[in-house]
Amino acid sequence: MSNEMDKEIVGHDYDGIKEYDNPLPGWWLLTFYGTIIFAFIYVAHYESGSGNSLKKDLEIALAQIETLKSSVGPIKLDSEEVLLEKAKDPKLLAVGAEQFQGKCASCHGNELQGLIGPNLTDNFWIHGKGTLTDVITTIRTGVADKGMPPWEGILKNEEIQALASFIHSKYGSQPANPKEPQGQKIE
Amino acid sequence: MESLKNNQLVKVIYDDKIVKAFLLATLAFAGIAFLVGVLIALQLAYWPLNMNLEWLTYGRMRPLHTNAAIFAFAGNAIFAGIYYSTQRLCKTRLFNDTLSWIHFWGWQAIILAAAISLPLGYSQSKEYAELEWPIDIAIAVIWVIFGVNFFGTLIRRREKHIYVALWFYISTIITVAMLHIVNSIEYPVSFMKSYPVWAGVQDAMIQWWYGHNAVAFFLTTPFLGLMYYFVPKAVNRPVYSYRLSIVHFWALIFLYIWAGPHHLLYTALPDWAQTFGMVFSVMLWAPSWGGMINGLLTLRGVWHLLRTDPIIKFFVTALTFYGMSTFEGPLLSIKSVSHIAHYTDWIVGHVHGGTLGWNGFMVFGMIYFLIPKLWGRQMYSKSMMVSHFWIGFAGILLYYVSMAAAGITQGLMWRAMDANGNLLYPDFVETVLKIVPLYWVRALGGGLYLIGFFIMIYNVYKTIRMAPAVQADTEVMVPVSALDAHPEASTGHRRLEGLVPTFSVLAFLAVFVGSVLEIYPSLNLKQYIKNETPVEPYSPLELAGRDIYIREGCYTCHSQMIRQVADDVLRFGKPSTISESMYDRPFQWGSKRTGPDLARVGKKYPNLWHYKHMIDPRSVTPKSIMPNYPWLADHPTDFVSLRKKVAVMRSLGVPYDDNTLAQADVMAENEAKVIAKDLADQGITQSGLDKKEIVALIAYMQALGQKEKKKGDDDGKNVAGSL
Repeated sequence: MSNEMDKEIVGHDYDGIKEYDNPLPGWWLLTFYGTIIFAFIYVAHYESGSGNSLKKDLEIALAQIETLKSSVGPIKLDSEEVLLEKAKDPKLLAVGAEQFQGKCASCHGNELQGLIGPNLTDNFWIHGKGTLTDVITTIRTGVADKGMPPWEGILKNEEIQALASFIHSKYGSQPANPKEPQGQKIE
Repeated sequence: MESLKNNQLVKVIYDDKIVKAFLLATLAFAGIAFLVGVLIALQLAYWPLNMNLEWLTYGRMRPLHTNAAIFAFAGNAIFAGIYYSTQRLCKTRLFNDTLSWIHFWGWQAIILAAAISLPLGYSQSKEYAELEWPIDIAIAVIWVIFGVNFFGTLIRRREKHIYVALWFYISTIITVAMLHIVNSIEYPVSFMKSYPVWAGVQDAMIQWWYGHNAVAFFLTTPFLGLMYYFVPKAVNRPVYSYRLSIVHFWALIFLYIWAGPHHLLYTALPDWAQTFGMVFSVMLWAPSWGGMINGLLTLRGVWHLLRTDPIIKFFVTALTFYGMSTFEGPLLSIKSVSHIAHYTDWIVGHVHGGTLGWNGFMVFGMIYFLIPKLWGRQMYSKSMMVSHFWIGFAGILLYYVSMAAAGITQGLMWRAMDANGNLLYPDFVETVLKIVPLYWVRALGGGLYLIGFFIMIYNVYKTIRMAPAVQADTEVMVPVSALDAHPEASTGHRRLEGLVPTFSVLAFLAVFVGSVLEIYPSLNLKQYIKNETPVEPYSPLELAGRDIYIREGCYTCHSQMIRQVADDVLRFGKPSTISESMYDRPFQWGSKRTGPDLARVGKKYPNLWHYKHMIDPRSVTPKSIMPNYPWLADHPTDFVSLRKKVAVMRSLGVPYDDNTLAQADVMAENEAKVIAKDLADQGITQSGLDKKEIVALIAYMQALGQKEKKKGDDDGKNVAGSL
């Protein structure tokens, strides 16, 4: 029933509870010593300066990401004519429509009629003249002052192009309850 | 002479009534804690269950759940178990019956005050320390009464040496008092509103020193004490190793107190404190397992009871979950693991492995053990006990597995990057929607646990109904004095076990040394911010908005701490600094991101966006699971108290000038008019909008991350070179 080494300690009896005089399990003791040794090594490594500070580690990680980003190279945009030609692709327009509902409709309205942000269907433009190139630029860089976030890095380049194409396809769609015109009238 | 003395017996009547009272309170409040737990689990799965009612939103219910589970359920259970076992281990009645009943009713009054004040929004927004200052004082007073009653009983003991269970009770009482008092030092602004004297990183350090050790000294050490009494009693076997008890007890209490900063890894907390928090957590692994080993190996030779005795099923499963949680804890404390797990549901799963498995099942086993002893009748149904066990066990497994899966999934999604160095899931809500199905599984797990509990309630009800009508307290005959009953000369630790005051002082020193060494440096905040950009204090309206943020418990889902890891920086902007939160009372760094981090949300969206988002989050973020906050557009802002608030802040060291002090309310009203006008210009025509809380909250949201005195890099997204 009980182990050979079990030996009750004389005098240890508390409300009927007795205690054995068993030694500390060896594997347990080794684990404990192991974690203590680890702790000393770890603290020595990081507090002596041979390990990187958190800030240093972050700088390294961000530098690697910067390298990745710059290796992609500057984005080469097609000419306005090519963009307009591609903008007729119904698949591209479907992608753009989906992105618009998810990312843009909350500020520009489901029908692009303008809400927090301006109406995108009229011929008044605040940034640029409403060309596809202009719209792509605005989506990429955002308008920090007005609370429009930059979408570069969040949306892929093809998605931004799809979005701009979708917006372009809605020019003059005359939605209900349009927001009042903002910016310059472009003939 | 000795033997003559030993032959003289005296009759002792143990106070069983107080134990019964605490047991019944345990059952009552367990019901509330579990019900609210299931409600908030469902709210996360299905947001309309927030019901558009301010008193029932997640942000107010979550603190109610944690407080009810920790202080009402576990608290009452601890008191029942400690009072039952201490009398028997000391062979004497409790020190003072009046103190016992003040303790009982005082504690229930505190719970009632919590259950009323938390849904009403009276909260300090510090985790597990949400209760406002009058309740904090009551807790301290009642805890001291408990301590006097307990130590009084030890002094009167008829047993020379104190058993290991009592060691754990001693360390619990001393340490909880220290933690609660230090973390609750606050400056009242009015009845039920206060600001902590600790600010920013200090408050973070002290709060997690408290928060982690609430787990250590409220949910671990007292339960180990209960385990050391009830497990050997239930199996009628000697404890495996006395030497192991000594080593793991002292190691555990000494090491535990240091571990708090593992809740703050990669944050603005200085590196050295994070390093210490991590390595002390790793060292805790073996001492924690010492308790599990001593419990489980006590069953050697009687393992067959695991098949036949439901009480043993509960105890053994509890010890197993204790072992699992105390292995997982050190693992989660390793910095690179914390990088994935922090702010996710993995932590929620980890905590519930401990609370549902270890604490819950220990308590259930203890109650099933005690009820027949106290009421003098066998449990009504053994098969119901077995059903309770299996249903509850299945509940814990579903809970744990779903939350670990949800946490790891989300943690990996947050950091996922494509080959060009862009986040793969830049939309935060996308990572939330991915795990909503797991929220349903978790709610099912919690629901099963609750069903198991209801079976227990019914079983207990039937048992007590059939108990003998005349209930008498336990009477025993014990030697008049056993203090000198052991003629053998005791040395070393054995000698210490006979000296309660010395033992208690040493136990206090064990927890005090680590506390001082770790907290003291943070008291001098200035040394950490001397190289950082200076920051402006909040404007009066922003301060009013911040108190609304605190009232609504936004910290339960939003962090305000961008960690020093690349994915946090890509997603939310440059890492949060110590100086940015140096005036934050309380700090709101948070511990969970059900929604995105808000440290740099200021100026990211227009005022109108925030307005619409508060009224109906889904109008600007489709599929968001955040509750609606329509009442913010109805409630008037409390401008009147602002001068008092600014005065309190200034006396705590926030540099408000005399003009702000004298004109805080007027300044806030003027600020509010500017925001209200901007909203009106964009079509929000509600009259008197400038007087509404929503405007104050918008002012605060727009100030987040915007308080550094300018050098022109307020665009946190631009990471390169802005560190």
